Amino acid sequence: MRLTLPHPGSLVALAIAALVIGGFSALLMIDGEKPSLLAIGPYLTRVLIFSTTQAALSTLLSILLGVPLAFALARRRFIGREFVLSALGAVMVTPTIVTVFAVLAVYGRSGWLASLLKALGFSGDFSIFGYPGILIAHVFLNAPFIARLTLDALDTVPAEQWRLAQSLGFSPRQIFRHLDWPVLHAELPGAAVLLFLVHFKSFAIVLALGGGPSRATLEVAIYEALHVDLDFGRAAWLALIQVAICLALTLTVNRLWTRPPVSHTLRSTILRPDAADRRLYILDIGILSASLLLIAPPFLSLLAGLSHVASVLDADFAKALVTSVVIAGLAACIACILSLALASAARRLRLEMRLPRAAEIYDLLPNVLLAIPPFALTAGLFLIVRPFIEPSSAGLILLPLMNGLAAVPFIYRFFGPKLMTAGERYGRLSASLGLRGFWKLRIMDWPILRRPLGAGFAIAMALSFGDFGIIALFGGPELRTLPYLLYERLGVYRLDEAAAIGLLIVIVSFALAYLSGRLSNAAD
Amino acid sequence: MFKRFLTTLAALVLATGFAHAQTKPVLTIYTYSSFAGKYGPAKTIKERFEAICNCEVNWVTAEDAGSLVGKLRLEGQSTKADVVLGLDMNQAAEAKSLKLFAPHDTQVSGLSLPIQWQDDTFVPYDWGYYAFVYNADKLPNPPKSLKELVENPNGPKVMLQDPRTSAPGLGLLLWMRKVYGDKADDAWAQLKPRIVTFTKGWSEAYGLFLKGEADMVMSYTTSPAYHETVEKKTNYKAASFSEGHYLHVELVGMTNTTKQAELAKKFMAFVLTEPFQSAIPETNWMMPAKNPPSGPPAVFKDVIQPTKSLLFTPEEVLQNRRAFIDGWLNATSR
Amino acid sequence: MLLIDHCRLTWPDFKANYSLRVETGALCAVVGPSGGGKTTLLHMIAGFEKPESGTLSLDSHDLLPLAPSERPVALVFQDHNLFPHLRADENVALGLKPSLKLSADEWLAVAEALDAVGLKGFKKRRPGEMSGGQRQRVALARALVSGRPLILLDEPFSNLDPGLRRDMIELVDSLRRKRHVTVVMTIHTPEEIVDVADQMAFVANGEVIASGTPKEVLHNHPDPRIAAFSG
Repeated sequence: MRLTLPHPGSLVALAIAALVIGGFSALLMIDGEKPSLLAIGPYLTRVLIFSTTQAALSTLLSILLGVPLAFALARRRFIGREFVLSALGAVMVTPTIVTVFAVLAVYGRSGWLASLLKALGFSGDFSIFGYPGILIAHVFLNAPFIARLTLDALDTVPAEQWRLAQSLGFSPRQIFRHLDWPVLHAELPGAAVLLFLVHFKSFAIVLALGGGPSRATLEVAIYEALHVDLDFGRAAWLALIQVAICLALTLTVNRLWTRPPVSHTLRSTILRPDAADRRLYILDIGILSASLLLIAPPFLSLLAGLSHVASVLDADFAKALVTSVVIAGLAACIACILSLALASAARRLRLEMRLPRAAEIYDLLPNVLLAIPPFALTAGLFLIVRPFIEPSSAGLILLPLMNGLAAVPFIYRFFGPKLMTAGERYGRLSASLGLRGFWKLRIMDWPILRRPLGAGFAIAMALSFGDFGIIALFGGPELRTLPYLLYERLGVYRLDEAAAIGLLIVIVSFALAYLSGRLSNAAD
Repeated sequence: MFKRFLTTLAALVLATGFAHAQTKPVLTIYTYSSFAGKYGPAKTIKERFEAICNCEVNWVTAEDAGSLVGKLRLEGQSTKADVVLGLDMNQAAEAKSLKLFAPHDTQVSGLSLPIQWQDDTFVPYDWGYYAFVYNADKLPNPPKSLKELVENPNGPKVMLQDPRTSAPGLGLLLWMRKVYGDKADDAWAQLKPRIVTFTKGWSEAYGLFLKGEADMVMSYTTSPAYHETVEKKTNYKAASFSEGHYLHVELVGMTNTTKQAELAKKFMAFVLTEPFQSAIPETNWMMPAKNPPSGPPAVFKDVIQPTKSLLFTPEEVLQNRRAFIDGWLNATSR
Repeated sequence: MLLIDHCRLTWPDFKANYSLRVETGALCAVVGPSGGGKTTLLHMIAGFEKPESGTLSLDSHDLLPLAPSERPVALVFQDHNLFPHLRADENVALGLKPSLKLSADEWLAVAEALDAVGLKGFKKRRPGEMSGGQRQRVALARALVSGRPLILLDEPFSNLDPGLRRDMIELVDSLRRKRHVTVVMTIHTPEEIVDVADQMAFVANGEVIASGTPKEVLHNHPDPRIAAFSG
C-alpha cells in the first residue's frame, strides 16, 4: 500500500499559516495585560483613513502612468529599450531612504526643478512635503513596476490573435478592445491590489515626505507599539487589523473579477500592427518623454554618489556585500521554493481536481504575506525560537526567511501562469506516461519553468538586497548588509558615503533586474 | 531537511564570523549601530578594554537606541547581553521595568554633566544638549529662543523627527513641554506651518537638512563640531535658546543575567575612565561624561553653552509620554 | 487560380523558395516534415511574411502589394482562433466587420454561417463553454462569412481526436464545394486527407518538392524525403 503524502504546496501553505499564527500568538501571549487598543481608537481611525486614501491615490497614479508607458514600450522599438526595461525592474527595488533622497534631489526645495524654475525667473518657495511628496515617491517607485507587469501581460497575447487582427484589419481601437483589454482586465486588478498593499504599508517614505504626523500609516503605529511602547499585544492586534483589511480587499477583488483562464501560448515577438498609427505614434512619444522626465532624473541624481565610491570600498564594504549577497540568495531560494510549491498546489486543484475556488486560496496566500508587518511577525517568531537558538543565530535564520516571505507576493506571478501552461500542454501526456513527483517536475515543468524561475530568483534577490527592515533588528558588526551600512554612515553625518553606498546598492539591484528581464524575455 | 540546510548554513556563516579564538572570556555589549560603525568609537574602546581585561569584547548592535530596548524586551531572560550601552535617559524607566538590569556598584562622581547623577542602575557615558542646527550662510539671524522660533510666523522652516520613532523627536516634545507647559500643544499648532516634516530618525532629518530642504534641523549642540573638525566647514552652527536646552544623556548598564558579572562590572568602571572617555568626542560627537584633567575636549571649544538644562525625570517621561504624544498628534494633525 | 512563383524568403537560419499552383475551388493539402516550411508558406500567402522576390497572385491579381487585411484570404489556426471574451456569433461577425456594428442582414449571414458548420443554437456561447471541435467550427464559420475566396487552414484539427478530425475534414470538403472557395490546408496526417484532397504539395527544406494528386505524391514520387516521410 502506498502512503499518500500531502502535496508540498499544502505543506507550505500550512507552514505559512502556522508561522503567522504562531508569531502573532507569541506576541499576544507575552503581554499579560489586555492590549490598550481602545485607547488609541481615534488615532487609529485617522491613520486608517489616511493610509487608505494615500494608498488608493498612489495606486491610481501609478497605474495611470504605468499602463500607458507599457503600451508605448510594447509598440515602439528603439535603441536602449532593453536597458529601459531593466531600469523599470530596478526602480522598484530601490531602498526607500535612497528614494527619498533621490526624489528630493530633483523635486525638493533645493532640487533640480527648483533651480530650473529659479533660473527661468520664478521666485518663491515650493514644497512637495505632504501628499505631493508621498505620491511622487510612490509613483516613481511603482509606476515602472506596473509598466513592467503590464508589458509582461501584453506579451502573453497569442501570436495567432495578432495575425488574425492583421488579417481581419483591426483598427488600433479594436486591437485594444479585443487583444489588449482582456489581458489588462485579467492582470490589472491583481496588480492594483498588490500595489495598494505596498503603498498601504509604506513607512519611511510616508514619514519622511508626509510633512505631518497625521500622515502616518498603520505600520507606523505598529512600529511605535513594538519599539517605543513595547506593547507587543497592541502590535499584534494592529498587525491583525492590517491583515484583515488586506484579506477583505483581495477577496473582494477576486470576487468582482474572476480571472479568465490564462492563455497558453508562449510570448510572441510580433510587431504590433497599431505601431503604424500616426496618432498613437505621437501619443507614445509623449508618454515616453513624460515618463523619462519623471523617472529618469531621480535615478540620475543617484549618480552624485559616484564621487565617493572610492572611499567606501573597504573591508567593511566587502564583508557587507558578501553578507547581503548570501542573505539575498538564501531569501530568493526560500521565495522561489515557496512560490513554486503554492503555484503547483493551485495548479493541481485547478487541472486535476477541478476545484478552482479552492485553488484561489493558494493564490490568496501571497497577498496575505504582503499584509503582514515584517517587524511584528519577526518579533513574534523570535519569541518562539528564543529558548532554543542563540539570538545571534536566530537573525541568520529569520532574516532570509522573512525576506524570502516578503518576496513571495512579487514572484508568485512569475510561476503561476507558466505552471498552468505546462500543465495544460503536457498534463495529460505526462499522466499517461505515469510521470509523478520529481520526474514530473523535471520533464514536464522544468523546460518551461527554467527561465521564469531564474527571473523570479533574480527579482527576489534584488528585493531582499535593498531591504532595510528585518536587518534593523538583527544587524551588528558580524551581520551587516549594505543597507545597514548605509544607515550606519548616515547616522554619523557621512552623507556622501551613504550616497555612494546607495548608488552601489542600486547598481547591484539594476544588474539583478537586468538579469531577470533577460531571463523572462528570452524565448522558451 | 530544508531547515537543517538552513541551520547548517547559518552555522557555517557564524563559524567564519567567529573563527578567531574563543579561548578568552567574551563580554557581549549591545549598542546602537552607528556606535559600532566604521566611524564610531566601538573599535577603539574594544582595543583599549581588551588591553586590560584579558577578555574579548563582542559588539552586538540594534538599529538605534529605541530598538535596543525592544531587542532586550524580545530576548528577555535569554539575552546574551552582558552590558547594554546607548540607552537614552528617556528610556531609562522603561528599561528598568524590564527587570533585566543589575546595580552598577560604580563610583559615579566628578562628572561633567550639568546635573547631579544618582541612579544606581545606569552610568552616563556621554551627554549633550539638543539644539537646532542651521547654516549661517543661509540663515544669518537665527531665532534666539524656542519661543521666537515657535511664534514668529515668518520664521525659519524646520526639519524634525517623529517623537514616536526617534529619540531627538521625543527630546523636542519634552523640550516644548518644559518651555510651554500645558500650552505646549498650542505651541505645536503655531509652529506647524513651518515644520517641513517629521522623519523616522535623526539620520533622515539631518540628511534632508544638509540637502537644503529646511533652514534648521533638530539635532545636538555638538553637531557643528563635526563639520568643523572633519569637513573644515564653519557655516553650520547650533542656535542658542534663552529658555535653556533639553538635556540628552546616554547611558550604560549591566544585565543581571550576565555570566560574566566580574567582567561587566569591570567594564562599567572602565566607562568613566580616560581611555573610554577620550574615545567619545571625535567619534560619537557627544560630550564625554567625565572631562580629562585638561578640561573639556578641544573640538568642542566653540560649542554653545546653554544657560539652563531642561530635563524630565525618566519616571515622569514614562508616565506622560503617551499623553504628550496624543496632544502633539492632535495639535499637529489639525 | 493561386499562383506562387519562386517566392524567396531568407532568415539567418532558414531559406525558402516556393513555387506552387492551386486551381480555383480545389482543396490542396500541404504536407511534409515539421520545420520544413509549411506554416511559413501559409504566412506568406496571408501576407505576414514578405518574399524578397517572385510573384504571388490569385486569379491573376497580384497579392504582394496588399496588406494582410486587404488580401482575399481567410485564416484558421490550430489554436487561439477565437477571442475568449466574445460570444460565438461575435467571433464570427469579426469576419465581416471588426467593429461588430453589423446590419440585421449581416447578423443573418453570421447565423447562417454558424448553421452551415453545424452550430445552430450555439450563437451565445463563449469559447470557454465550447469543445475544441466546436471552437474550430466557429473559426471556420468566420472564414466562410468573410466571403474571401481563399481559405488557409494551418493544422486546424491537430488538437482533435481522430474521429472528430475525420468529420471536420469532411465538413471542410463539403463547404468548399458548396461555396466554391479554394482551400489550402497544412496537415501532419496525410493519410486522413488522401480521399478528399484534389491536390497534395509536399514541402521540405523551404521548397515544394512535389505537387500532384495525393496518390502521386505519397506513393509514386522518387524523392527519398517523401518516401522517408510516408514510411
